[in-house]
Formats: sequence, structure tokens, C-alpha cells
Amino acid sequence: MKNFALGKYVPFDSLVHRVDPRVKIFATIALLVAIFLPQETYSMTFLVEGVLFLLALTLLFISHVRFRDILLSLRSLWFLVIFLLVIYIVVPKKENVLGIAWNLNGWIVYWDAFAEAGKIVLRLVTMIMVTMVLTATTKPLDLTYALEWYMTPLKVVRFPAAEVAMTVSIALRFIPTLLEDASRVMKAQASRGVDFEHGRLWQKITGLTALIIPLFVSSFLRSEELANAMECRGYDPRKKRTRYRTFRLHVRDVLGLLLVAAILAGVIVLLAMHIDLFALWGIHAL
Amino acid sequence: MKAPETLLEVRHLSYGYEEERLALDDVSFSVNKGENVALIGHNGSGKSTLAKLLMGLLAPNEGEIFFFGLPLDRKNLYSIRGQIGIVFQNPDNQFVGSTVADDIAFGLENACVPQKEMQGIIESFAEEVGMSAFLGHEPQNLSGGQKQRVAIAGVLAMKPSFIIFDEATAMLDPKGRHEIATLVAKMRKENPDLTILSITHDIEEANRADRVLVLHSGKKVYEGKPDAFFGNPEIYEPTGLGRPFFYQMKDALLAEGIALPSEVCDLDSLREYLCR
Repeated sequence: MKNFALGKYVPFDSLVHRVDPRVKIFATIALLVAIFLPQETYSMTFLVEGVLFLLALTLLFISHVRFRDILLSLRSLWFLVIFLLVIYIVVPKKENVLGIAWNLNGWIVYWDAFAEAGKIVLRLVTMIMVTMVLTATTKPLDLTYALEWYMTPLKVVRFPAAEVAMTVSIALRFIPTLLEDASRVMKAQASRGVDFEHGRLWQKITGLTALIIPLFVSSFLRSEELANAMECRGYDPRKKRTRYRTFRLHVRDVLGLLLVAAILAGVIVLLAMHIDLFALWGIHAL
Repeated sequence: MKAPETLLEVRHLSYGYEEERLALDDVSFSVNKGENVALIGHNGSGKSTLAKLLMGLLAPNEGEIFFFGLPLDRKNLYSIRGQIGIVFQNPDNQFVGSTVADDIAFGLENACVPQKEMQGIIESFAEEVGMSAFLGHEPQNLSGGQKQRVAIAGVLAMKPSFIIFDEATAMLDPKGRHEIATLVAKMRKENPDLTILSITHDIEEANRADRVLVLHSGKKVYEGKPDAFFGNPEIYEPTGLGRPFFYQMKDALLAEGIALPSEVCDLDSLREYLCR
């Protein structure tokens, strides 16, 4: 239950950790766009993706994410790699430029199949790594505040941005509490003879109701008490409140913003101007 | 002598969850400024119901509640809540913020305290409850007693004149209970005007109060000094409450033929007396 590497905050005080969460959210989205913008040739695609991959890897390295955690979060991609390869080999593209990989009695497989699959896998890997930089270096609560900041303009159309942020932050705050409840209920039920681990699927599911129903009851009780406590401490969602946590942009935030904007702009320019860097250098690449 | 200022007055309060059985039956009492009053009673005596009525979470069937001379009604509810602080029983269910600092800030945010002043207020009240070193900690890394101390800091930061403890130590271990008792004693020493109503079934805590109110089956059966209650079997026995250790000792000694002199009135003086 506690074994998700993706989305796990890594407590450390690195440069990436200190960047304003709003900047990090923007940077993540900008990099994701850059990753998924299609380049014209294979060589350009792999060049751009490769640069972005190295950037993500460097950021993860700076944020002190363990190499093992990176591999763990990429583990589930293996299935996708094989699936994509099979699809591209069985259903080849109409135009193939990279030549024939092998020809087995008329069953022709082009190198393009591997290149296409590789392209998508590289993109997905980079995407996962970029989002990992965000989640590993930003506390969930700061993420919530940053999202609330982005939702502020929606207040004009009466969107309850502050309430949504409060709800999300309370939900995050109560995850460990509810996990604790769950393990307590599991132990209590196990000591009364409920088997959560053995038996057929159906038996496992019925066993789970012995966990879920008490958990529901306790979370409803908790929410009622929490609502009372919040009310008694003067919380009124319709009233104006001040904020304890506020953000101020520092030089490093502006620099980070500029860097990411430059990367995105560069990728867009390459695409829009049909620039082939290899051709400029006089290399004929496909 | 100046007449004591009444902060809370409860007049002929009755409440029933079902029509035929009243959970609270014609209860009247008052709490004066600077007093430490304990409200005790067995399970089902109506003390939780009384707590909910005092916080305005339930509306009484009959009777009235006055805080600071104002009736507790829909109109005054918010202004009254701004002046009283409540510490609840479950340490987890009143921890709103994600960290200690955020939780203390929650009440300040609601009261629209300017952001610039918050850090100073948070630090001084964390210091007050001895949680300065934990400001960045998340609730799952704190003990129950520490969480309750944070809750008290959050309440104190609002500078209330009246604090209600609703079984605030019931879910704590003896160490946590001791922490809270010491803290409350310190708070009272520093601010003699601080008024405390403590709803509890901790007999020792009740014994330390200036005055106890005893509820039994929804009725008030005693109001006055703790020693007059615990020293009088005719009153305390029907309530089914336990007795503080001091009174158990006193009776046991009496059974052995040792009568204590009247100046021995608490555990410390008893210890001194026995050692002599």
C-alpha cells in the first residue's frame, strides 16, 4: 500500500525543491508539451527527446530521487514496450524510410517499427520522469496551494477555488490517518477470523467488506467531528480569510521559468521552421 | 469585594434525543471569570449532550445558555464562538492543518489576522505549549499529547477568555494526560483571568478543579468544592464515579485506625505526613 514510487515526495532541500510550486507546475506542463510535439524526422525526434530525457534525468539527480525509485516507476512500462513493438511489427506503416530489418519468406519487418516504438517509449519515459520531478520535490500541500493560485481567475465565474483547495488539503492531510485506521480495522477483523489473504477472489472481496464498512463508518464520524472543530474555530467558507502560506517569486524561480520557456520556444521554432539540425551540419539523417 | 463576573450561565436546560427520555433534565449552573470548573459524570450522564449544547451544535428543548451575558442563539453564535476556545476529545479529528504551524494558523486565517503577523503569533504560542521544535511536523509524526498541545496552542492564539475542554485527555496515555495537566496549570498561573470548563471523566483532574459539577442521569446532583463531593459517600456513591486516589488512601488509612488531621488535604501533604 505504501509502495508507490511515482508521486512520492522526497524530503530534501535541493534547488529544485526550493523552486516556487507554481513555476514547477507551469514548467511541468511546458516540458510535457515540448515532449509530445511531433518532430519531422526520426533523427530530430530522437535528438529533441534525448535532450529532454537528459534534462529530466539531471533534475531528478539534483532532487536526490533514488535511482531505484526511478526504475520502479518505469517498471510498468515494460509491458507497453512489448505491446507497441508487436503492434508496429504486425501492422507496418505505409511509408518506411529506415529500410528492412529482416525478410522472412515475404514477412517483411522494417526498422521503422522499432523506431516508432522507441519514439513513444522514450516520450513516455521522459513524461514520467518530468512529472516525477514535480511530485518528488513539491509537498502535496504546496501543490494544492499552487493549483488554487491557478484557479483564482475562475472565481470570477463563482468557482469555489479556496473551498476546493481546502477540501483537497484536508483529504491529503487525512490519508495517513485513514491508512492507520485501515490497518487497525484489518488487524481487528483478522483477530476475529476474517481472512483477507487466502481463498477465492469472491471470498477475498467479501472479506474486504469487513474492512471497507468499518472504515466508512469511522471516516464519517471523523468528518463530522472535524466539521464541528472547524466550525468552532471560526471557519466559514463564504467569509474572507487571510493566508498563512503565501508565495513570493525569487530570482531562481524567474530563471527556471525562462529556461523552460526557452526550451519550449526552441522546440516550437524547430518544428514551425522545419529546421533539420543534421541537414544544417551537412549530415544526411532520416 | 467585587461580585464575580459570570462568563457562562445555564438556566433550566433540558434536552432529549427521544421524547420520553431526557438526556439532560433541568440543569442550571454558572461559571465565573477565572474559575476552573470540572463537569463530571458517568457515561450516559448527559455531559456530552451538555457539551454539544454549549457549543451551539444542538439546540435545547428548554432553557437558555448565556455567554458573557449574551444568549447563545443563531444571531450571537459566531461572535460567541470567536471568544471561546474548545479543545475536543479526538486529537486527530481537530487537526486541520497539514503541519503544526498550519494548524495553529488555521484559526488565525479564519479571523483574518494579517499574514505578516502570523509567523510571530504561531511561534510564540508554539513556545507556550512547548512545541516550538515541531512547527514543521506532520500530525502522523506526533503523539496524542503533542497533538492536543497543538490544539491548545491553536485555541490560545485566538486569545479566548473562556476555554472548554471536551474530554480533551480521554484518548491520551498517562504521559500525555500529565503533559496537558501541567500545561493547563501553567496557563492558569500565567493568566489568572483564564476561565476553564473541563468536561471530563478523569477523577483526578476533577479533584484539581476549583469547583465540580456532577451530572447523573441528566440531572445535576452536586455543585461545589471537590472535597465536599468526594469526601461524602452519600452523594458520590449513587453516581457510580470512582474516587481520587487521595480519598481511597484516606479511607484505607481510616480502616487501619489512622485518622488524618484536617490539614492533610491532598496527595503532596499526605506523602509528607506519611513520611514523617
